[in-house]
Amino acid sequence: MINLDKIDREEAFRYMGIKGVPPQNIISAAEECEKLLLECITPKFHWIFAETAGFPEKGITLSGHKLVLCGNDIAEHLNGCCGVILLCATLGDGADKLIRKLQSEDMAKAVIADSLASAAVEQVCDIAEDDIRGRFKDKFLTWRFSPGYGDLPLECQGDVLTALNASRRAGIFLTDGGLLTPTKSVTAVIGVSETPINNSRKGCGGCNMRDKCNFRKTGGHCNG
Amino acid sequence: MADFDRSDKKEKFRRLLAENEFVFLDGGMGTMLQAKGLKTGELPELLNITSPDMIEEIHREYISAGSQIVYANTFGCNRFKLNGTGHSVGEIIPAAINIAKRACEGKAFAALDIGPTGKLLEPTGELTFEEAYDIFKEQVLAAKDADIAVIETMSDLYEAKAALLAVKENSDLPVICTMTFEENMRTFTGCSVPSMALTLTGLGADAIGVNCSLGPKELETVIAELSRRTDLPIVIKPNAGLPDPVTNKYDLTPEDFAESMVTLIKYGVKIIGGCCGTDPEFIKRTAEKFSGKEYFRRETFIQAAVCTPVRTVVIDQPRIIGERINPTGKKRFKEALRQNDTDYIISQAMEQIEAGADILDVNVGLPEIDEKEMMVRVVKALQSVTDLPLQLDSTRPDVLEAALRVYNGKPIVNSVNGEENSLNTILPLVKKYGAAVVGLTLDENGIPKTAEKRFEIAEKILSRALKLGIPRQDVFIDCLTLTASAEQETVMETVKALHRVKTELGLKTVLGVSNISFGLPNRELVNSCFLQMALANGLDLPIINPNAPLMTGAVRAYKLLTNIDKNSADFIAAYSGNSFTVAANSFAPSEKRSENVSADLPYAIENGLKSESAKLTRELLETNDTMEIVDNMLIPALDKAGAEFEKGKIFLPQLIMSAGAAQAAFEVIKEHLSKTGAGGVSKGKVVLATVKGDIHDIGKNIVKVLLENYGFEVIDLGKDVPPENVLEAAVKHDVRLVGLSALMTTTLAAMEETVKLLHDNNVNCRIVVGGAVLTPEYAEKIGADFYAKDAKETVDIAKRIYSRT
Repeated sequence: MINLDKIDREEAFRYMGIKGVPPQNIISAAEECEKLLLECITPKFHWIFAETAGFPEKGITLSGHKLVLCGNDIAEHLNGCCGVILLCATLGDGADKLIRKLQSEDMAKAVIADSLASAAVEQVCDIAEDDIRGRFKDKFLTWRFSPGYGDLPLECQGDVLTALNASRRAGIFLTDGGLLTPTKSVTAVIGVSETPINNSRKGCGGCNMRDKCNFRKTGGHCNG
Repeated sequence: MADFDRSDKKEKFRRLLAENEFVFLDGGMGTMLQAKGLKTGELPELLNITSPDMIEEIHREYISAGSQIVYANTFGCNRFKLNGTGHSVGEIIPAAINIAKRACEGKAFAALDIGPTGKLLEPTGELTFEEAYDIFKEQVLAAKDADIAVIETMSDLYEAKAALLAVKENSDLPVICTMTFEENMRTFTGCSVPSMALTLTGLGADAIGVNCSLGPKELETVIAELSRRTDLPIVIKPNAGLPDPVTNKYDLTPEDFAESMVTLIKYGVKIIGGCCGTDPEFIKRTAEKFSGKEYFRRETFIQAAVCTPVRTVVIDQPRIIGERINPTGKKRFKEALRQNDTDYIISQAMEQIEAGADILDVNVGLPEIDEKEMMVRVVKALQSVTDLPLQLDSTRPDVLEAALRVYNGKPIVNSVNGEENSLNTILPLVKKYGAAVVGLTLDENGIPKTAEKRFEIAEKILSRALKLGIPRQDVFIDCLTLTASAEQETVMETVKALHRVKTELGLKTVLGVSNISFGLPNRELVNSCFLQMALANGLDLPIINPNAPLMTGAVRAYKLLTNIDKNSADFIAAYSGNSFTVAANSFAPSEKRSENVSADLPYAIENGLKSESAKLTRELLETNDTMEIVDNMLIPALDKAGAEFEKGKIFLPQLIMSAGAAQAAFEVIKEHLSKTGAGGVSKGKVVLATVKGDIHDIGKNIVKVLLENYGFEVIDLGKDVPPENVLEAAVKHDVRLVGLSALMTTTLAAMEETVKLLHDNNVNCRIVVGGAVLTPEYAEKIGADFYAKDAKETVDIAKRIYSRT
């Protein structure tokens, strides 16, 4: 378990669709929700390293694992990488519980807590990435690529979790519909390379939401 | 249910424990298999069919290292994980047990190993408790030849309970149950050590403990806590320390591991093994280190306590049981039960928690509803939003059993009494499910007048409970409050009886207090004085209305005055600042009425002022018609907020705040209507559902709040809803609009299927769809009538549809 002592509220406001400075009552509610969340979440991440074993057509396999990461985009993402980090991160069951509870008390706070929790799980990923960088100081890492990006199917999420033994190591499970539970959880793939990586910036091109994205419509983007 | 408790297998296990200072389990199976080339992601259980000799050899290595119980290779052998492999549970489990038994040669025990299902259970996950039970039952039924069952690596107490019930109800096997704790002394789902111990001990495990997650050193604090919380033999099966993410190697050597394990003897560990990263060498070294050492026979004093996974309430001081979840004398509550309105019931729970309840009594008995079904639904709904333990309250044993089954933790049963029929039906349930029980001091002859007779009934209930094996600390006695206005002379008999039960029998006492003042003026004053008398005479569990400031205040003041509330910390926390005046306020004249009430309500709604909205609505109802308030004030105010949201002047949280304020106003109107018996304000019914496979329902719930505040009656089917259920509800309620939500691309197929089913059955309704990944084009493609980009648009669509007459 790791400690998170604050949540990126600006990011959460963005998830709520708020442009500019939020009104005072939203800021106060966000302060309160942040406090509640920090009390009940149990942030955790778990990662493993595996050497790349082969590049079958449109994909990549890992040594010692049954997992195959399929698609042109992941193959391109990991192009030239000697190894792969599989990462999962979660806020734990506590965030779901709190959001459920708030839904029965005050839906507005539930929405705010939901956005804050989404921001928080990204922060956990950032902390995980720092941890990983600490172990691979002399190597180069790609950005975090998650199932559902580009043509890496969301369906491979289950195999990624299995490879990570994520239910046992981080308490993350998959539903029949291919969703992660607890809901504030993330999986990602990071490539490890001996040489500098070109595609180190993430753009909108590979994103499934690119046609609907509100940030993009107003000229913004969420990463990189 | 047959009496499995006295089976030969259980006797054999008891002898194993009695004849050995320590009993040794095996080490990791997965670790051994991976060393032999098994890839991560491949199912180890299939090797029972493809490489039985390899599995047998591993068992044999462990047995020669000193293992007296070996776990058959069945950890993940359930119908989910075998799906698509061409093999069944009924084929693999017997094969695995057979292999283990061959290796044991009668000298060691072959265990059925039951790991978690691999799915997260409700409420966060989608697997229901009943489904989990069925999965485990299938495993147990396939393992007739096993010597013992082992439930391990559980992080969800609910899942552990399902597995334990499945073993106990479908086999005669002794059963060990171990859970997996993290450094914060909790499992991933937040279960604490005391809650685990209370629940699994109560449910009748033969030994409990911990496995996996950490090494022996890191688990010491968990074991220390566990040893104080159960009198069962303690099991420990840790990992070989912590794994390195790059090399996947664990950091302890067999010698380190054995050294650490020996230091745990002082906590009374009895059954010992290793989990991930351990191999036969670890077991051999550990067994050698333990050789010649003596098992530490600890004395445990188990406190009276009830729990949910996250919260344990120890009855070592007065604890408030909230009485408000009960339809008796409450029209609005009865209406909620008739309409399946669990949201209202949850709101009653939330109010009491806020006011200071420690435990909630749950009674949903109403002659015209299916009490059993409602009880299960309400218990599940409550435990999805609160961590407070529940007191399950019904006169019907079948309702109590259904509630006991799905309750997650250790509850209180309300109640048993001194009648033979009650003792014979209720106490076995209390024993089987490991609950605490309220014993009412009445019998076939009614409630005795004298304290002496009530005391005698209490003694009888206790002795019958003890005979069944229910621990003394789990029997709470209610000496029964009679109405002072009718039977004034009996008031002190109740108090005397309570005092004797507490001091002479040493039992915890419980008392429904409010009944004392029935028929009198100034009831709260009488209730509060009686409560203080009872507390001073040893009352532990007052059943009261925690929302009544004088009642909760009396308990808080009592704890302060008796030095339970050290430094008056809780008292000060409750009454410093604004809330200090809460009690006084109830006697104060009502606040000055606003000058122009009707102009204030729209303002309150637009600004999301909840309590203000409720207050103003209450005032408006004195002079205005309900529909007038709804049509001329509530809805225009919401419209205005909606228009500003569309223009980007306000944002989603503010729109919802307005909706919340309108909701508070609507609640006042509903209450008013159920009091006056007038008809509802429904503008029409809408069915809402988050489609099968999807568990993200916050968007759907926002739509629900908004629709309700426009006066629509929402039939909310929840999340992960199968298409058939949507069809059934649409037909049953004859709705003109069905709303479906889906968040992920993976669940859009289920949305399409639902739309198709409605069309195929020619249901005369329109369909609106929404969700993050939906587009108007996709909505059209799957045959939906409307695409709504947000909650506001859904309301507009509903208004359009219902305005066409």
